[in-house]
Amino acid sequence: MNIRTIARLVRKDCWLMRWPLAIYILAGLAGLALTVMGGRVGRSAGITLALNVLIGVSFHVMLVPVLGERERKTLAFVMSLPVTPADTAVGKVVAAFTLFLIPATIAATTLVWLSPIDIPAAMAAAHRPLWSHVLGTLGYYAVVLGAWLLFFSVVLAAAIVSESVGWTIAVLTGLLFVFGNFALQILPTLHGVARYLRALGRGQAALPITIGCEAVGIALIVAMVLTLQGRKTSFV
Amino acid sequence: MSDCAIQMRGIRKVYPRFALRGIDLDVPDGTVLGLIGPNGAGKSTLLRILMGLVRADAGRVTVLGREMPAAERWIKARVGFVSEDMALYGAATLRWHMQLVRDMHEGWDDRRASELLESFHLDPEQRVRGLSRGQQVKALLLLAMARRADVLVLDEPTAGLDPLVRHEILTLLYASRSERRALIFSSHYGDDVATLADNVAFVHDGRLIAHAPVHELLGGGKSLEKVFLDRVAGLKCGRAA
Repeated sequence: MNIRTIARLVRKDCWLMRWPLAIYILAGLAGLALTVMGGRVGRSAGITLALNVLIGVSFHVMLVPVLGERERKTLAFVMSLPVTPADTAVGKVVAAFTLFLIPATIAATTLVWLSPIDIPAAMAAAHRPLWSHVLGTLGYYAVVLGAWLLFFSVVLAAAIVSESVGWTIAVLTGLLFVFGNFALQILPTLHGVARYLRALGRGQAALPITIGCEAVGIALIVAMVLTLQGRKTSFV
Repeated sequence: MSDCAIQMRGIRKVYPRFALRGIDLDVPDGTVLGLIGPNGAGKSTLLRILMGLVRADAGRVTVLGREMPAAERWIKARVGFVSEDMALYGAATLRWHMQLVRDMHEGWDDRRASELLESFHLDPEQRVRGLSRGQQVKALLLLAMARRADVLVLDEPTAGLDPLVRHEILTLLYASRSERRALIFSSHYGDDVATLADNVAFVHDGRLIAHAPVHELLGGGKSLEKVFLDRVAGLKCGRAA
């Protein structure tokens, strides 16, 4: 693999996605502003925008720089440059994560702000040192962003490995509407899970374990994608 | 170093409904090879294997003395590839593409790029989506030729172009023969091959059914298409017998 080549491929994808990226960033910031301003309507509009940014950017990244290259026949042009299939696969994964993470970080901030726990009030009541609050907030933030990144990684893996719009949309909607609904409505009612969520909220060992599991999950998915790409025999 | 710019030995590739069956092909230094064959004969697959875009099931590909895919990056840095089945980014300008290729190719020649822009009458600030099919092919050729590639691989570069643009492209390729060590291209047009190539290879049903100098095959006063059709008919008779 050649780092300079990969960096150039990532820059290419980011440049080609600059306008949609700007719109997602603006929408994410608008959602954050509405949430900060508070009120029922503001919070509701904020969370709607944040979720739309996360879902929209996931679709957009999958359909344009990932699956669109083959569809629009630009992949043959890229592959004719001095690159190897491994360069293009790593470049695609890095570009996809970069394009997702910028607006997703803003949207995740909105979701953290919308936590059912009044974070600033809880901090004031806890009488802990400042660094403890900062660590706790960062940890909570990492859990939310990590969960979305894990979701994104699964969809990205489906897109890169299957090279099919149909399968990618099936995985994306399956995760959102089947697994998402299950996670939101049924999981919290299960005894063990409810206890785990309370431990997570209190920042106990569940917090670093969750962040670690998310990071390992993402790393495994990326490794699986690169391994499967390495076995392919056709790159256009 | 071998005196063959391109050497392919025993290339096999099996798809569910098509197979390349052990193709051997040489393109000596300083020559042009034209591939002729019907759709689905295996020309594009062969050129894609040569460029490392498709991996062969068996066989050896050597370009400029190095093996594909072991020296893939090295080879691609010295080979320009244009395919009928290739597109540029519609939203970007030709200048953006030139910058992208320049960043990735040490051999990029700005002066040659300017000459090609002029001879192709291309505006570098125009977005690719505003270019006609002929202009897009010219843009792809410009990006491949301004790299000062040692070898040019063209997969049906003149397919679907009007006669004027076709003539323009063939003239440029002919005039620039001395710039590179070898050119291999596929075409449906026997005239294009007869104009440009020193040698011709007929590909039919995943096999190479002839590989000879163009003047030898044109000896009987027939066109290359007619010679090709006669060879295919001969094969069918042979099988029937």
